[in-house]
Amino acid sequence: MKKVKTKKDQRAYFWFFSFLALILIFLFGITSPYLGYYWLFGILFGFVLQKSRFCFAAAFRDPIIAGSTSLFRAVLVAMAIMTVFFTLIQYNAVQGGALTIPGRISPVGVHTIAGGFIFGIGMVIAGGCATGTLMRIGEGFFMQVIVLIGFLIGTLWGAWDYPWWERVFISNSPTLHLAQYFGWTGAVIFQLVLIAVLYYIAKKYDDQNNILL
Amino acid sequence: MAEVRLDCLYEACPIPLLKTMQSLKVLNQGDVLIVETDHSCAIKNIAEWVGKQKLPCEIIEVSNGEWEIYIRKER
Repeated sequence: MKKVKTKKDQRAYFWFFSFLALILIFLFGITSPYLGYYWLFGILFGFVLQKSRFCFAAAFRDPIIAGSTSLFRAVLVAMAIMTVFFTLIQYNAVQGGALTIPGRISPVGVHTIAGGFIFGIGMVIAGGCATGTLMRIGEGFFMQVIVLIGFLIGTLWGAWDYPWWERVFISNSPTLHLAQYFGWTGAVIFQLVLIAVLYYIAKKYDDQNNILL
Repeated sequence: MAEVRLDCLYEACPIPLLKTMQSLKVLNQGDVLIVETDHSCAIKNIAEWVGKQKLPCEIIEVSNGEWEIYIRKER
């Protein structure tokens, strides 16, 4: 009772949607320059995510269930690159006279841990974080549509409860920006050293842990 | 030399990997495990883990977005 499986040639779809995407870049771009960039970066992001199988859920789950930290280390490398370039953007903005430092610099406190914990449970059960879920729907793994529905409900629920978190935790949590404490150069070096140490620990953990259920 | 097929279709990470771990454990030496999956991350996941066990494995895309992972339990 073996099913006959055939592979369809999907290149026609690829060219069709590439063409469509290109036209949309133009249409979004003449509406507002930023929309064009958002669209372009969204597509490039999706492409990289799909081809690299980069998955934040796996990055934080696999060290524990399989003793593998390769994706976790990939996240660390991404953070190291991001540290350098975001600091450059922020430094140049501040030097150029920007009143607030660009980027999402948010208060850190109990709510950060609570949110991370809830999100962590959700993403391991769902089998993907936000980017992974969207990427897999696009790829054709349809089960993730259920996750997307849950994701939307959760986001709305979160927005509903947000004032409570704001009142109880966020309003009296400190906002930290490392450059305030170490200077711009010091902050970059501090963060890179920290990431390097984590990378080393992760590599050691990977070599020593060979989990066989 | 048995050949065991493991149905992991429609299962998301990390279920295919966990099922592979469990069924590989009960197999005898020299048996081949064939994992059927349609989850693209699972092939990456399983291949990496199997490589870490120093077992040979081969991935074949049998249909659009459907893979079979052949793992021989050599030891």
